[in-house]
Amino acid sequence: MSESGPADAPDEVNVPMIRHWVDALDDRNPVYLDEEFAATTRFGGIVAPPAMLQTWTMPRPEIQGIAERGGAPGEISPDNPISILDAAGYVATLATNSELEFERYLRPGDLLQSSIVLESISDRKSTRLGPGYFLTWLTTYTDGKGEVVGRQTFRILKFDPSGLGANS
Amino acid sequence: MTGGRSGSLQWSRIAVGDELPQFDLDVTSTRIVAGAIASRDFMPAHHDSGFAIGQGAPDIFMNILTTNGYVSRFVSDWAGPETMLRSIKIRLGAPAVPGKMLRFTAHVTRTSREGDEGIVELEIRAANELGDHATGSVCLSLPLIENAPSSGQAKAEA
Repeated sequence: MSESGPADAPDEVNVPMIRHWVDALDDRNPVYLDEEFAATTRFGGIVAPPAMLQTWTMPRPEIQGIAERGGAPGEISPDNPISILDAAGYVATLATNSELEFERYLRPGDLLQSSIVLESISDRKSTRLGPGYFLTWLTTYTDGKGEVVGRQTFRILKFDPSGLGANS
Repeated sequence: MTGGRSGSLQWSRIAVGDELPQFDLDVTSTRIVAGAIASRDFMPAHHDSGFAIGQGAPDIFMNILTTNGYVSRFVSDWAGPETMLRSIKIRLGAPAVPGKMLRFTAHVTRTSREGDEGIVELEIRAANELGDHATGSVCLSLPLIENAPSSGQAKAEA
């Protein structure tokens, strides 16, 4: 995953998935489902909740074996930096930062693609959890015309947790 | 402060230092699982407590997409349906786990004008008794209704 994609969203932005999200989070902003109301707003029609950006291009999961893969939806390539750090003993993962940017709100019918670039790997750091490395990915989301609709910067710490047990 | 177009806040009445109404979310297993599945995140740490505890977490914990979703809801519940979020930038800390109420707070740090939009920047925090779950900033825009056509007909985005 050091550089992957573009990955196609399995489905267009669609009302059933928006409704599922709206109900799950109890978010009653009427621009997400009320077509008549939304038509009177600056959006001119219903739009998807912005925080769903990542949801549209999430890979379809392979449920069989997902726990054994640590929760990864599919097989992770052995040359992925995550696999390399796992093999070197930095087996634990902690998400530290998420930065979402929205260029526009998505509408039903938008079909997204995402491209992921590994932006940086830090030097080895000492953290309170143990020694580890910070990895930062930048995901760019584009629509069917190739226009950027949003971006996400995501940072995790991959660390060696073996010292944690020694302290407790 | 409400009463602008479509029940949204008027940008011109928002000032640096304004605080958003506090939002207390009773975090339950159901909310965590519902958010994870609605965001298509099937990682066992977000629905299987045995798995989560085995990884050193106190219980299943909220996934980041759901946290961002609640931040979005918190902000647009305040500013109204004309809100367009430009960014949500958070640092992640203590996990949001069942039984620990998550309190969302925020205040306005900056306002500015950009063409026919008013920009509002917020500093936000979501915390529970374990500590800060998410801290960071949100940037949003509102249409400048002073410049809106008097017919009240909203113009559609191109």
